[in-house]
Amino acid sequence: MDGAADIGTTRRVTRLGPDYHISFRAMATPCEVRVETTDAAVAEQIGIAVESEARRIEHKFSRYRADSVVGRINAGGHLGLVVDEETSSLLECARQCHEASEGLFDITSGVLRRAWHFDGSDKVPGAQRILDLLPLIGWQKLSWRPPELKLPPGMEIDLGGLAKEYAVDRALAEAMAIAPLPMLVNFGGDLLVSGPRSGGIAWNVAIESVEQEGGMAGMLQLKEGALATSGDARRFLLRDGVRYSHILNPRTGWPIKDAPRSVTVAAYSCVEAGITATLAMLKGRRAEAFLKLEGIRAWCIR
Amino acid sequence: MQLKKRGGVRRKLARISAGLLAAALPPLAGQAAAQSYYDDAYGTKNDNFGPGFSYSQLDAALLVYHESGSRVSAVEPTLNLVMHAADGRQLSMGAVADAVSGATPNGAVPSILPQNFVTPIKAHGSSTSVTSASGGSTIIQLPPTPGQLATAALGRQYTVAANTLPVDKGFEDHRGALNGAWSQPLGGITEVGIGGGYSRESDYQSISANTHISQNFNANNNTVSLTLNSEFDSSFPFGGIPTPLTAMNAQWKTTTSRNKTQLGFVAGLTQVMSRNWLTQVNYAFDRQSGYQNDPYRILSVVDPVSGVPTQSLYENRPQNRQSHSVYWDNKLDLGPTVTDLSLRYFTDSWGIKSVTADLSERLQLGSAFYVEPSARYYTQSAASFFHNYLVGGQPLPAYATSDTRLGAFFATTFGAKLGWIVNKRSEFYIKGEYYTQNGNSHPAGAIGQLRQQDLFPRTSAAIAFIGYSWDFH
Repeated sequence: MDGAADIGTTRRVTRLGPDYHISFRAMATPCEVRVETTDAAVAEQIGIAVESEARRIEHKFSRYRADSVVGRINAGGHLGLVVDEETSSLLECARQCHEASEGLFDITSGVLRRAWHFDGSDKVPGAQRILDLLPLIGWQKLSWRPPELKLPPGMEIDLGGLAKEYAVDRALAEAMAIAPLPMLVNFGGDLLVSGPRSGGIAWNVAIESVEQEGGMAGMLQLKEGALATSGDARRFLLRDGVRYSHILNPRTGWPIKDAPRSVTVAAYSCVEAGITATLAMLKGRRAEAFLKLEGIRAWCIR
Repeated sequence: MQLKKRGGVRRKLARISAGLLAAALPPLAGQAAAQSYYDDAYGTKNDNFGPGFSYSQLDAALLVYHESGSRVSAVEPTLNLVMHAADGRQLSMGAVADAVSGATPNGAVPSILPQNFVTPIKAHGSSTSVTSASGGSTIIQLPPTPGQLATAALGRQYTVAANTLPVDKGFEDHRGALNGAWSQPLGGITEVGIGGGYSRESDYQSISANTHISQNFNANNNTVSLTLNSEFDSSFPFGGIPTPLTAMNAQWKTTTSRNKTQLGFVAGLTQVMSRNWLTQVNYAFDRQSGYQNDPYRILSVVDPVSGVPTQSLYENRPQNRQSHSVYWDNKLDLGPTVTDLSLRYFTDSWGIKSVTADLSERLQLGSAFYVEPSARYYTQSAASFFHNYLVGGQPLPAYATSDTRLGAFFATTFGAKLGWIVNKRSEFYIKGEYYTQNGNSHPAGAIGQLRQQDLFPRTSAAIAFIGYSWDFH
């Protein structure tokens, strides 16, 4: 793929009140940057930087690409692979998340997608199908001696739960290096602001309604830090009146029961907000209790 | 699955993500990590509701101070309330009450002979003063002085035994203080604010006002701030304002009050140096003018040969004082502990130069407790007009004080704080400190009997705090 040509054809730059708004599609999701500036050239430069970073990370960590780092690990990881520094730090982060969440956050649980297809239908897989997959799940089964990773045959990793948020944090830093303007970077609802808008004004961020696409369930004012939302608004199975969320418990192979429909978490970085929101979803019925007990700033929709 | 450690997972996730970003993006990592460092270091209790959330913080504490040798004792309850609005506006209010009692050195030197001191009775115009109220002193009839007020015929006298540091035991006071402050973001300015305070004792009143402005730069990695302070104090001592460098006496003076004004500013810079180092530098300038004497304090005039005190004179200090100080503070997150190291240098137009070094180390004990030992060292040189005593037969200097707080000394403070994080939003703490102050007890050139006296007795004091803080919506 020719990245530059792709950028040129998809990125849109528009003036939106005091901001320039740059939008494009990457990581299978709409992405945007809002920059408070009147300088079109700077906005353009920032747009290029953010989009390039999004595409770089997508390219590098997509599990759908055979030539990505994740693709190569999943294809040949049973032989052992030495990974680069950036991949190494993401894997190390995944290891720590696995440990901190007592096994709930697990980048090896992606193989469950072979059984589960969350398309809004009622196709719930058979119990034996799930049991057959469980031996292939569990971070502790990998051999991770940084920078070398070795997977048991049949196991896979998926950094999708980290890469998008990581891309937001990285992209904003890249953009700030070009011009330290007030800005907001939003990749598919995971967003980070550089600080308040000029005049100390907060950024308005809507929490999307789970009932109605494009609808609004609430408005947040964000002056600094990040917001990330974990939810299954449009990814679920419905059978016999039971709603199966797309959040799967890596220890059972089954969807988490009674999880909120969406959890939005505020934190200092997008990575922190994202892993916290995911972990809250994994708590199921006790998501709110967990968030409250931990003193996390969060909004749940049931 | 156990989730008993409140906030533990949140902090772990914050640390994990800060770790990842520190490796991947230096400009942001500083901020994220510094923030997570604050959470770890100081926010273990504080939920940090964060920007866009309104909440309040209430702090209640009690301080008990006790000086060795049944000297000064003080009890001081304080109450502070800070209300944060969602848009960054902040209102704070505080109240302090003090009850101080005990004995305080009057400034005279010890003698091989018992010494009598006579001061005005405390209740001016009353002829029925209670003699037992001021421990160790008696109300005496003074020889009539023509032209003086009738009540001046009464005085308060206390006797100090031979070879004992003269202290006045009739010392008892109450103080009440109130303060309030308001701050908010304004336009593109991170924060502007104003504040004021009022404090009142039976013989002293202080009114203060301040205003500040601060601005964050560079993704909040730098903060620059400027604060202007002003203060207006009035002193209205028992017995009136004594004429400087005249003999101590029991008469009520005709001047009853004098004022002092103070103007100053503090310029500060805070910088996140790395993900585990935060540094702050402040420069402060102060200018005080007006009445700065301690109206109760005297100096001995001693016999030039025997060193025996023959007279007690009221002290005198210059009316103007200008000071400069530089303060440098560092907070270092060294993994299991958080270190706070600060240094301060101070110099003023009275000739005092001082250095303070302060070190504290915070250590988390599990998730619910922390302990914070601390040590402070302080040393200062004497004011140019500090004299242990004056020598009879020599010309009087323009200014003279024997207040050991203006003499050369060094002091150490050792303390420890133990905090109990009751839950996410409240914390209970106790703190103990032990202070010692040492000066030159036997200055070279002491005259006669003064060579065998302790002219700068070592002072020690124990200070205990007990406090509770609570955050709520």
